[in-house]
Amino acid sequence: MIMEAIIFMVALALVLGIILAYASKRFEVKKSEIASKILAVLPGINCGACGYAGCEAYAKAIEKGAAIDLCIPGKQEVKDKIAAILAAEKNNNSQPSNDSVSDITKK
Amino acid sequence: MLDTFQQIFVLFFVAAISENIVLSKFLGICPFMGVSKKLSSAYQMGLAVTFVMLFSSLVTWAINKFVLLPFDLEFLKIVSFILVIASSVQFLEMYLQKYFEGVYDAFGIYLPLITTNCAILGVALLNIQYNHGLFESIFYPIGSGIGFLIALILMAGIREKLELADLPRAFKGAPVALIVAGLLALAFTGLKTIIFT
Repeated sequence: MIMEAIIFMVALALVLGIILAYASKRFEVKKSEIASKILAVLPGINCGACGYAGCEAYAKAIEKGAAIDLCIPGKQEVKDKIAAILAAEKNNNSQPSNDSVSDITKK
Repeated sequence: MLDTFQQIFVLFFVAAISENIVLSKFLGICPFMGVSKKLSSAYQMGLAVTFVMLFSSLVTWAINKFVLLPFDLEFLKIVSFILVIASSVQFLEMYLQKYFEGVYDAFGIYLPLITTNCAILGVALLNIQYNHGLFESIFYPIGSGIGFLIALILMAGIREKLELADLPRAFKGAPVALIVAGLLALAFTGLKTIIFT
């Protein structure tokens, strides 16, 4: 009885796991890098105190320009981290580019 | 032929109205309260739940009939059913995120919460409890899902209008929604006693 139960559960989990692995490749969506970085510094408890439907929604909203001080569990620490990420992004975008096209046009 | 139609209609009517999954059996209240603020997200959630109900009910019925019963493993019902339901919700989530991103964002956190929606597990277990055959296992989940959809649309329609009503501040939002839910459930008890001869 126990042996059969174990075999069945393992088999079921294996089949479902394979189906889901295939689905995750087939339905892959490219995630924005900035939103992912912001999501990594947010507390991740999905409390909704910021007014958005969870931390992922808030990360996406910040990328589109929402206020960065709405995370109540995160307090000042998280606000500073978000500000650092956004500042780093701005620096990356306004640095003079090093590719060959601009070298040619500079002359 | 007419007899089959009659059977289907009765099954549908009982599943959707007389024993409405939300208003008579009180299952699936979380998305009922959480996604009923706007009519558009309400009917999308109803359709998503109907789809998950149908799919997982069929798979779990098959698992019960061809694996659990022959091998005397009935005690694994709840665990394996939850496994199947969680996987199908994950599948649906990935599909929606890729092809219907607007719907995915509108649901937010409530999409993965369909997994823990006791209406889905409830319908799967009720299929077993009522000894449904394959035929009934197809139409009972669809009927329950449609009933869920109806309850959600009713709730969303009322709540949208209530947003503009002049309510005392203490009642605005969740309190009046709970009262409305109670009144709807009360109304549906009148439909419980419809008998088909």
